[in-house]
Amino acid sequence: MSKADSPEAAHADETPERAVAFADAPDPVLGLLPWRRVAVFYLAGLFAAIAPMGLLAHEFFWVNILTYTYLFAGLAVAWNIIAGFGGQFSLGHGVFFAVGAYTTVRLFLDWHLTPWLGLLPGALICAVAGPLIFWPTFRLKGSFFAIATLAFNQVAFVFANYFDSLTGGPRGLQVPFRAGTANMIFTSPDAYAVLMFGFMAMALAIVIVLMRSRLGYYLLAVREDEDAARAAGISVTRVKLRATALSAALTAIGGGLFAMYIRTIDPPTLFSLPDIGVKFALLTLIGGMGTIAGPVLGAFLIVPLESYFRAALGGAGPGVYLILLGAVMIAAALFMRRGVAGAIDAVWQRWRPARKK
Amino acid sequence: MSRLLTVDKLSSGYGLTPVLRSVSLHVDTGEVVAVVGANGVGKSTLLRTITGLLHPTHGDIQFDGMPIAGMPAHAIVGHGLAMVPEGGRLFMFMTVLENLELGAFGPTAREDVRRSLDEVMELFPILRQRRTQLAGSLSGGERQMCAIARALMSRPRMLMLDEPSLGLSPVMLEKVFDLIRSVAASRDLTVLLIEQNVADALDMANRAYVIEGGKIAKTGPGAELLHDPDIQRAYLGL
Repeated sequence: MSKADSPEAAHADETPERAVAFADAPDPVLGLLPWRRVAVFYLAGLFAAIAPMGLLAHEFFWVNILTYTYLFAGLAVAWNIIAGFGGQFSLGHGVFFAVGAYTTVRLFLDWHLTPWLGLLPGALICAVAGPLIFWPTFRLKGSFFAIATLAFNQVAFVFANYFDSLTGGPRGLQVPFRAGTANMIFTSPDAYAVLMFGFMAMALAIVIVLMRSRLGYYLLAVREDEDAARAAGISVTRVKLRATALSAALTAIGGGLFAMYIRTIDPPTLFSLPDIGVKFALLTLIGGMGTIAGPVLGAFLIVPLESYFRAALGGAGPGVYLILLGAVMIAAALFMRRGVAGAIDAVWQRWRPARKK
Repeated sequence: MSRLLTVDKLSSGYGLTPVLRSVSLHVDTGEVVAVVGANGVGKSTLLRTITGLLHPTHGDIQFDGMPIAGMPAHAIVGHGLAMVPEGGRLFMFMTVLENLELGAFGPTAREDVRRSLDEVMELFPILRQRRTQLAGSLSGGERQMCAIARALMSRPRMLMLDEPSLGLSPVMLEKVFDLIRSVAASRDLTVLLIEQNVADALDMANRAYVIEGGKIAKTGPGAELLHDPDIQRAYLGL
């Protein structure tokens, strides 16, 4: 009995903010693993993610693909906060992405503010504006919420074209090539890959901490059963708004990094649904909604395949690569219903008891 | 005895469909009051309106002298009026302990989270044993206890239960009802419960209201209603 009581003892030592996490029960989101094991998983995952860099460094074609893979993995992780864990299927994250991109570039062009700091105002704007524009929308559920947020994306697209003093309008904004670490402009493509890798690692770390915090548990409770969460005294709206702020701010940072990488931004690029707004959702769905690793796995499956198919089959006929990519996605939807993360989990669950005996 | 909850000429419903028509009732401090009735007469609607999950179309609700009609649900919980929803509505993939801790959302409840945990586990020893299990693996009675315990984690002055008998065996039902009564007595808790199981609910309650067609049809002490010939004919099959 004394041993069975140990979680209580551990509980007494924890700070109130941490009181939710306990160390000895299974949990789908890593929430209950001991910190040390979480750190091991995290570092092993990051190592596996950076390993291709060692093999492919200096081959621009592959390094470019890796750079986008890391970036979109981080962006999908950010989207997953509100959509996967919070159950709010947003298709409006392209707005936050674009705000981050425009803010970083504008500050760099007009004020010579280093993008390292220039990423932050965009994140701050989105942390405030995201909750403000989602607030009225949270009354909608499921696909209605998705459609309403999709409309935000399209409205912002029109605005971005119209307010050309701010966004450069349809001509867009160009960042002159002035290489230098302070300018976040590098001559080596490897540096960009490392930059995006850092972004992905940061997003993952934030989500791991979030999902072990009180807010993370409230978010899951709200997703599972809103009325039960209300009855338990949880302020559903406040929980959703906080998660939105975090998700939007991270997305804005990703947008800023994207802008500094391609150095030419215009509305059709930033507000593109297939390449930006819906892509976060797609990668996360394929990888596994509401899991820590899912969005990263989805990005690592889809982004390289898409780029490779486009390069290899682009000449074979218009749209051939899209047909093949579509086939991959259909296969993923049919055979991995809980995404890549779910499939790995299923294999692991089957394999683990055999190993224990 | 002071009046803790007053519901005055309350009307409520869903969209254009009225369900409750001018319902008035009151609960005094320390009482266990039951609201009974058949399916679809508005019992759950009444509870959902009092707890803020639904907003009334007419009428007033006062809790401890404070008007709470139209207030958001979590704020009402924060003022000391907790609810156990129908079927418990636990978060099935979370552990018992996590479910309990989620019940302590408000700032004052959060400060007391450890003391509250100790208290509810004292009340429901089975939850201490099961605390690291997923809520989905609990039996029906254990779920009901866990749901009651979760509601107690907000340190309420009044507890409202929606159909605590739902899906319970007669033995378990008796146990849960006994627990509700002893919790009410030992912790100075006022209880309002909604029940379809008319006989058992009338048996345990100090006072009861019978709802028919969205209106209060009868009211009186539980034991008295139990022997009312109309009630016996309509609900008890006697």
